[in-house]
Amino acid sequence: MIGEWLNRLRFLFFRRKPEALDDELQFHLDLSVERNIAAGMTADEARRQALIEFGGVERTREQCHGQRPGWWMGTVAQDVRYALRGFRRNPVFTIAVIATLAVGIGATAAVFSVVDRVLFRSLPYAHDDRLVSVGLVQSLEKQEFTLGGFFFEWRDNQKPFESMTFETGYGDCNLTDGNPVHLHCIHVAQNFLPTLGVSLAAGRNFTPEEDLPNGARVAMISDGLWLSRFNRDPGAVDKDIDLDGHATRIVGVLPKDFEMPRLQEVDILRPAQMNVAQQHTVNGGIGYPLWAFARVKSGLSLAEARAEMEPLFLHTQQWIPAEIRKEFHLRVRSIRDRQMQDAYRAAWVLLGAVFAVLLIACANVASLFSARGAARQRELAVRSALGASRGRLIRQSLTEAFLLAAAGAVAGCAMAGILLRIFMAIAPTGVPFLAAARLDLRIVLFAVVVSMACAALFGILPALEKPHAAALAARQAKSGAHARLRRVLVAAQIGLCVVLLSGASLLVRSFWNLENQDLGMQTRNVITVHVPLNWEHYPTGTVDFHLRAEAALRHLPGVTAVGMSDSLPPDGWHDAIRLSDLDVQGSPRAPASDAGYSVWRRVTPDYFRALQIPIVEGRNFTEEERGLDKHLAILSRGLAARLFPGGNAIGKLIERWEFNPYRKAGPVFTVVGVAGDVKNGGLGGEDQPEFYELRTSVQTGYWDSHHFFILESSLPASVIAPWIRSRVAQLDPTAPVEIDTMKQAVSRLADRPRFETALLGFFAFCGLLMAVIGLYGVIAFVAAQRTQEIGVRMALGATRMDILRLIAAEGLRMIALGGAVGLGVSLAAAQLLRSMLFNVGPHDPVTYAAVLGLLGVVALAATLIPARAAMKVEPVVALRYE
Amino acid sequence: MPVQIDLLQGTLDLLILQTLAAGPMHGWGVAQRIQQMSKDVLQIGQGSLYPALHRLEYKGWIRADWGLSENNRKARFYRLTATGRKQLDTELKNWERLSAAIGLVLTPAVQS
Repeated sequence: MIGEWLNRLRFLFFRRKPEALDDELQFHLDLSVERNIAAGMTADEARRQALIEFGGVERTREQCHGQRPGWWMGTVAQDVRYALRGFRRNPVFTIAVIATLAVGIGATAAVFSVVDRVLFRSLPYAHDDRLVSVGLVQSLEKQEFTLGGFFFEWRDNQKPFESMTFETGYGDCNLTDGNPVHLHCIHVAQNFLPTLGVSLAAGRNFTPEEDLPNGARVAMISDGLWLSRFNRDPGAVDKDIDLDGHATRIVGVLPKDFEMPRLQEVDILRPAQMNVAQQHTVNGGIGYPLWAFARVKSGLSLAEARAEMEPLFLHTQQWIPAEIRKEFHLRVRSIRDRQMQDAYRAAWVLLGAVFAVLLIACANVASLFSARGAARQRELAVRSALGASRGRLIRQSLTEAFLLAAAGAVAGCAMAGILLRIFMAIAPTGVPFLAAARLDLRIVLFAVVVSMACAALFGILPALEKPHAAALAARQAKSGAHARLRRVLVAAQIGLCVVLLSGASLLVRSFWNLENQDLGMQTRNVITVHVPLNWEHYPTGTVDFHLRAEAALRHLPGVTAVGMSDSLPPDGWHDAIRLSDLDVQGSPRAPASDAGYSVWRRVTPDYFRALQIPIVEGRNFTEEERGLDKHLAILSRGLAARLFPGGNAIGKLIERWEFNPYRKAGPVFTVVGVAGDVKNGGLGGEDQPEFYELRTSVQTGYWDSHHFFILESSLPASVIAPWIRSRVAQLDPTAPVEIDTMKQAVSRLADRPRFETALLGFFAFCGLLMAVIGLYGVIAFVAAQRTQEIGVRMALGATRMDILRLIAAEGLRMIALGGAVGLGVSLAAAQLLRSMLFNVGPHDPVTYAAVLGLLGVVALAATLIPARAAMKVEPVVALRYE
Repeated sequence: MPVQIDLLQGTLDLLILQTLAAGPMHGWGVAQRIQQMSKDVLQIGQGSLYPALHRLEYKGWIRADWGLSENNRKARFYRLTATGRKQLDTELKNWERLSAAIGLVLTPAVQS
C-alpha cells in the first residue's frame, strides 16, 4: 500500500516525456503495417488499413495523460492560463461580469450588514427572546406604559413572569461639579438589571434597602460617563459625584453595550425608591407613569403570558374612571418589537430591493455567460474533436466561471466596504444601531456563493450540451437553444427593474412632498433655546427665571420676537387632550367614544410672531393678559372647525374636564382667536387639531418643566449663540444651554426618509444600469449572430428599415414582456410601501407612467444602437462574413 | 470480422497482467498475444490498450523500459513487478470466483 503511494508520488514529480508516447504509438502503427504487408497487401493499402484500425491518436494521448495521478492539478493551471487568455481577448465581457458581480455582491453585503443590525441583532440582554414589555395602550399613547397604581398590583399577583421590573422614563439631572453638564438620569427598580439579565462592568447592583423611599443616594454610571469622567478607572466605584447639588455614591458601572429597553439615552441609573403605598393616592389615584418589562417563564409563549395577565388587567381597570375605561387595552409584546416599530417595514423594503439587485446581477451574469457560451459553440466542438472529454470541457468552463466570480467577489467586498462607509456617512442618527454596523462576513460569503453558483451554472450549461459535429461544419456558430433562456433572463431583469424603479420613484416623490410641504409656520430665522434648570435651586418655581431670561433675550441684537412654549412643533413631546374632554359650554358634549385628540400647547403671544403663524380670526393674546389670572385660548383652524362646525368660535367658553380620579370641574377658557393650522404630528404624520393656552405668569403647573424660548432672529444662530449663552449664564451659571435652529430640527426629521429614499434610489439606479447593459449585450449579440442572415435578406431586397425593424422587434418584445410583468409585480409590492409614503398613493399613475417611460426610452436606446449597427451592414461584407 | 465483445470493467487489466506474466513484451505484442490467445475474439485497439498500460504502470503493477524489438527497433517493453504479480494472483482468484458464480447462475439456463 505504502509502496503504491510512493509510486504515485514518484510520478507526480517526474513526468514522462510526451514524445515517449508518440514513439510508442508510432512503433505500434509500424508493426501493424508490417503485419498487413506480410499478409499480402500492397504498401499503400497496408498503411491505409493500419491507420483505419488504429483510430484517433489525440484521444489516446489525452487518455494516457489522464491516467497520471494528480494529473488534474496540471490541467487546472492550464485551464487558468487558457481562461485568462480568453478574458484578455474579450475585455468587455470580462469587465461587464466583474462589474456586475461587484455591484451585486457589494450592495447586498453592505445593505444586509445594516439591516441585520436593525432586524436580526441580538439585544444585549441574556435570553432576550423571553423579555417583554407590558403595559396599557390608549388613543393618546400608542406605546404601552403603565401606572404605579397598576404595576405593583400586577407585579405582586402575576403568574406568567419570572420577574417584573420597571423604569420611570426620561429624567434629567445635572452633573454640578465643575462645568454643569446635562445628563440623562433614569430611575429604575432594584430588580431592573437582574430581570434584563445584564451584568455590570464593575461594582454592584443596588441593594433592596437602597431602593426604599428615602434610601441612600446611589447611582450606576454608563460606560460613556465612566470614560469621560474617570477614564475607565475601576476606582470610580465608591466615589461620590455631585448630581443636582447632592453627593451621590457610584456603586456600579454599566457594561459598554448596555442600552435601555426603550433605547433612551442613559448616563446614570438611580434607584426609583418608589413609595408603593402612595401609588393609590398620587396623580389622581392612579400613580406615576412607569414602563414595565418582564421576563416570561420558560416554556410559556407570549400569547399565553398575555392571556394569563388579562384577568389581572381587568381587575385593575377599576382604577380607571368609568368614562374612559373602555379605551385602555393590555399589551404584551417582545422588547424587540417595541424597539423596532416602523423600522421593520423600511428594513424589509431595503432587503427586498437589495435582493432584487442581486437577482438582476445574477441574471446579467447568466445572460453574459450564455451569450458567450453560444458564441463559443464552435470552439467547444473543435476542442471536443481534438480529444477533449466532456468532463474536461466542463472543468474548463467552471474554471473560467470561478475565476470571474472570485474576481467579482474581491471587487464586491471592496465595494461593500465603500458602500457601508457611505451609508453611515449619510445615515440619520435616528436609524437605530447603524453606527455599530460592521461588514457581515456571513452575508459576504452568501453573496459570493450565490454569484459563484449562478456563474458556474450558466458557465457550464453550454459545455454540458453535447457539442454538435454540425457546429464544426456550420459556417458560423448558431445562437441555438440558449437564445430563449437569454431572452427570458433579460425580460426578468427589466421586470425587476420596473419594480425597483417604481418603488424608488414613489419614495422620491413622497420625499419631495415631505420636504416641500407647507408647515404652516416659518423655520428659516427661528432659533430655539432650551435651558434645563436644576429644580433644587428654584424652590418657589422657575417663572421668575424665565421672565428674566425672556427680557434678556429680547435685548439681543437682531432678535425681533421671543416667544415661550412648553413644546415645539412639528414633532416631539407635546401635551394633549381627548376631544371628548373639551366641553363647549352651551352645546352638547362630543360623545366619549370619539377617540380624537387635540395637541395642547401653552404659549406666550410672541410664539405666533416668532413662528409667523397667522391669526385668521379674532386676535392674538396680548402681553398685558400674561399678568392676569384668566384662562384664554386660541384654537387652530382645524380645532375651531371641529368644535364649532357652524360658526364663530370667538368669545365662546370651553371647559377642560379633569379627572382625579373622578371627574371634577376644570378651568373654563375663553376663545380669543383662531390661528392657522401648523404641522404638529411629525413631518409625515396626520395634522392634529391644536389648542393654544395662554402661558401666564400667574398660573403654574408641572408643564413648567417643559420650557422652550423661540427666537425670531435676523442674525444666524452661530453669531447669536454665544450671546444667548452669556445672557443665560448671568442669570444662572449652573444651567446648561441647548441651542438649535428650527430649520435643522425640521431637517433632522426628514433624515430618515432621505436615507431610505437615497438607498432605494441608488439600488434602482444600479438595477437599471445592469438591466440596460444586459439588454444591450443580448441585442448586440443577436445582431452580430445574424449578420449573415441580414446580408442575405438585403441581397434579396429587404430595405434598411426592414432590418432595423427585424432587430429592434427582438428587443421590444423583451421590453414589453418585462415591463408588463414588472408593472404587475410592482403594483402589488407597492402596498408594502404604503406606510412609508407621504401624500402620494402607492398606485400613483404619474409615477408609474414616468417609470415605464424612462425604462422604455433607456431600453429602446440600448436596443437601437446595435440595431442601427446591423442596419448599416454592407450586404457584400455580410455575405462573406464568417 | 470478429464480433466486438465489450470487456467487463477491469478485465482488460487482468488480461494484460496475465499476458505479461509470460515475460516482458511491448504494447503491440500484448495486443497481438491477446488476440491470438482468444482466437481473434478479443481485439484490443490502441485507444484502450495504451491508457490501460499507463494506468497499470502508474499503479506500480508493471514497469516499462526501453529496449530493442525483434526487428531491431526501439520499443517500450513492459514487465510485471512483484506487486503486479501479487495483484495478478488476487485478480485471478477473484475472476475464478466471479466466473464460477456466474456459471452457477447460468447453468440451469444452459441445461434447459
